[in-house]
Amino acid sequence: MTLGEIGAFLLVLVIVFVLGQVWFHLVESVLEGIRRRFFRSKEPPAWHPLPEDNDEKKD
Amino acid sequence: MGFFSKLFKGPEVDQAKSDANRKKMRLLFNQVVENGDRYQLIFGYTEDVSRFNYGFVHGSKTKIGNLIVGWNEAEETVVVVPTVPDLSGCGDLTFYHRSEILKAYRNKYPTDAFVIYPDKKGYIAINAYDWLDDESLYVYVSQEAELAAFTEFFMNRFTKK
Repeated sequence: MTLGEIGAFLLVLVIVFVLGQVWFHLVESVLEGIRRRFFRSKEPPAWHPLPEDNDEKKD
Repeated sequence: MGFFSKLFKGPEVDQAKSDANRKKMRLLFNQVVENGDRYQLIFGYTEDVSRFNYGFVHGSKTKIGNLIVGWNEAEETVVVVPTVPDLSGCGDLTFYHRSEILKAYRNKYPTDAFVIYPDKKGYIAINAYDWLDDESLYVYVSQEAELAAFTEFFMNRFTKK
């Protein structure tokens, strides 16, 4: 196997990998869009931010 | 020499960071749980693994949910508060009183987890370790003694078949 053939083989692998990534993210974004459209009315869960620490305030 | 000895020793706990996070865990927990100081705390997490098949691309996705887990031995209660790895905030608490749950047991396979079924409809599987190094996914806290205490409590006081 020549260096050129090895390079071509690696290039094919890279293309397959990139296409796979693009396809995965494309399908994920479409599914996310559908989920958002149909479950939009769902209320977001309550969230409590970390209170300021009094000891740190003094410093 | 120093480099190699460090390499062979493996990762070491940053105790200052761990202590700071433990303090944050307590602040968050006490903020949402009334009389929170009655509970001992550990960090735990849930794993939600889902499989996907998008044609020629298929595999699995794992969602990790960080938890502050409090327990009170006398009241045989476990309290779970969802949080994030940087402990910037937390969600609403869930109480699990032993008298009110359906069952609770420690699972060994496929992962070592503390499983609680509040009813027949659902369950929560809490994974907990002494220390997890990946700060992007888990709360950075060293908790060997706390985990041993929680395991002892769960196995001897909370397990229900």
